Amino acid sequence: MILIPISIAKYVRSLWMAEMVLTYLHVDRNGILVSWGGYPKHYGLGSLATGKSASEQVSFLEGLLPIDHTEVLEFVSTSAGRSAHVHLLPFRGGTWVLFFDASTEHDRQQKIQQQANELSLLTYRQSQLIQELEHARQMLIAEKQQLEDSSQLKTRFIADLSHELRTPLASIAGYTRLLDDAERKNDEHTSDYLNTIQTSTQHLLSLIDNILEQSKIEMGQVVLAPRACDLKKLLKDLKALFLPHANEKGLTLEVKAENLPVQVMIDELRLRQILINLVTNALKFTEKGTVTLTLRWQADQLNLSVTDTGLGISEEGQQKIFQAFHRETKTQGTPGAGLGLAISYHLIKMMGGTLRVLSKLGKGSQFFTTIQAPSIYATRSEVIPTERHHEPASSSIDNIKGSKVLLVEDALFLHKLFEICLSESGYEVISAYNGEEALLLIDERQPDIVITDMLMPVLNGYDFVKQLRAKNYTQPIIALSASNLEEDKQFARQIGCNAYLSKPVEPRLLLQTIHKLLKETMA
Amino acid sequence: MVTLQKKICMIGDFAVGKTSLVGRFVRQSFSEKYLTTVGVKIDTKLIKLSEEQEVKLILWDIAGNDALTTTTTSYLRGAAGYILVVDGTRKPTWQSAIQLQAAVTAQTGDKPFACLLNKADLREQWEVTPNLVAPQVEQGWKLIESSAQTGMGVEEAFTWLAWQLL
Repeated sequence: MILIPISIAKYVRSLWMAEMVLTYLHVDRNGILVSWGGYPKHYGLGSLATGKSASEQVSFLEGLLPIDHTEVLEFVSTSAGRSAHVHLLPFRGGTWVLFFDASTEHDRQQKIQQQANELSLLTYRQSQLIQELEHARQMLIAEKQQLEDSSQLKTRFIADLSHELRTPLASIAGYTRLLDDAERKNDEHTSDYLNTIQTSTQHLLSLIDNILEQSKIEMGQVVLAPRACDLKKLLKDLKALFLPHANEKGLTLEVKAENLPVQVMIDELRLRQILINLVTNALKFTEKGTVTLTLRWQADQLNLSVTDTGLGISEEGQQKIFQAFHRETKTQGTPGAGLGLAISYHLIKMMGGTLRVLSKLGKGSQFFTTIQAPSIYATRSEVIPTERHHEPASSSIDNIKGSKVLLVEDALFLHKLFEICLSESGYEVISAYNGEEALLLIDERQPDIVITDMLMPVLNGYDFVKQLRAKNYTQPIIALSASNLEEDKQFARQIGCNAYLSKPVEPRLLLQTIHKLLKETMA
Repeated sequence: MVTLQKKICMIGDFAVGKTSLVGRFVRQSFSEKYLTTVGVKIDTKLIKLSEEQEVKLILWDIAGNDALTTTTTSYLRGAAGYILVVDGTRKPTWQSAIQLQAAVTAQTGDKPFACLLNKADLREQWEVTPNLVAPQVEQGWKLIESSAQTGMGVEEAFTWLAWQLL
């Protein structure tokens, strides 16, 4: 018979409800289970043995005993038992552990807590979603602004470009009319008019070339072709090119060469393009003073700089000056599309340098960079791949005179121009104005060579060439096209063209190509 | 063979995965359903650390909260160490962990603990970033990425803590 001390009984009575069955453990000061009562199995406690360690049998007592004041652990449950409020009461050095069933209250509390927690999780997710939506909205606003800005930039560019293109076109149209009148009157101004037409044509071409060049750079189609280059000769050519313009504006043009080797390996065409862009700009924006072009070579590196005493560029402008289509507000009255510096910047980057600018408003500017230019220690007689145009030898021209050329071109004025050039060079010209007409003439006239435009009505150049090659036509074919995209060139070669010439085609280049191909065929 | 018995508390904000981690560790089970804990759930697991040493861990899975309440404090009595759990997908639960760690230390003194960055199976939704936890890592916190769903890091965390308790 176990006696529950009166103080413990009073404690129980103060809490206990009639229907509850008391479960208890009595643990002594050494942690030994002295006695137990009630239904410990309800709380997941197995068979209990008195006289043994309590915490080894009731694992949650580990670390809790002994106690020096009453402790209440609410809603204690094991995986196999009910939830209980566990009361730990100190008694004469030992502990009474009382279990009060809290299952009903536990379930009630859990329902409430579950709802509260789920709501809280939901609210959190909702606020995160709202934040994400807000972030996405801000991004969209920023993107919209960016698109609006670039659209505005494009609109301005198109307006500028249209103006730029219209000016030389109007000039060409006007002077052509004057030329026509002058020819009728046998006027002595004919030569001036022709010069103006030529200048305007060159301007127009250079604008279009720059736009195409920028597109090619953006599409990653520009590849450098380093060859042996005589820098001194290049400087001499550039001086000859720019001196008349400098003199006309009353400017001093200084060209300095320092320590230049006989030849360096560099893409001469691209270097020339860069220097022309920089010097043209310097001359354009300088009203008085000097424009200085300096090339200095040292240890396989070429320092180049173009300095002027012109308008200068604002600090803000210096940040944007190498962006395509950027034009300084002060320069918008002058011709140009804002591409020269962007193109130069990219070409210099490809050459291993960075184009930089130092400038002060009203004082002038200096554009400078250092690029790779390894020296070539070679005598001029060594075979070095330089670009040269070979004039056809007169004896070989004789051999191909009288060859039949089928000219397929729908643009009447170009057709006429080529026809004259070819006839004057001794070729027999067979004319067709689209691929279909040309195909009909092939069997009948059996031309020695075919020159065809690629974009034509009825049957275009590409299909015409394919059908021609399918008919086993083995003579050379030259493609003419306004496109100078590498893909178009490659495609033309794939379908059977032997050469590809981009318009505008110089008559001399056309004749050279015809000659070369015919000579190869004859050999 | 020496068998020690050690009390370990699972602490952290609500719904961070404390109960699921215990379920994975003790019963190798996992449920997608969230069931909130009221009070404390007690489980045990015997782990063998070496041929001569095993530890019976008494796991007190305490109801989640972002701060230490009087009730929670009573559960901490006698704990030898604790596991601090964070839900990687909810940044505020990391802040709760920092506060709870400070409060537990104030209450029980320095005890060994491991901090579990849980729900690693939902990593693409994590808001708890390496930058965020860097200061605590510098302080020497033992951080373990875990997933009660896949079991990643779970055994490692409890075993690491058990070794600290020897």
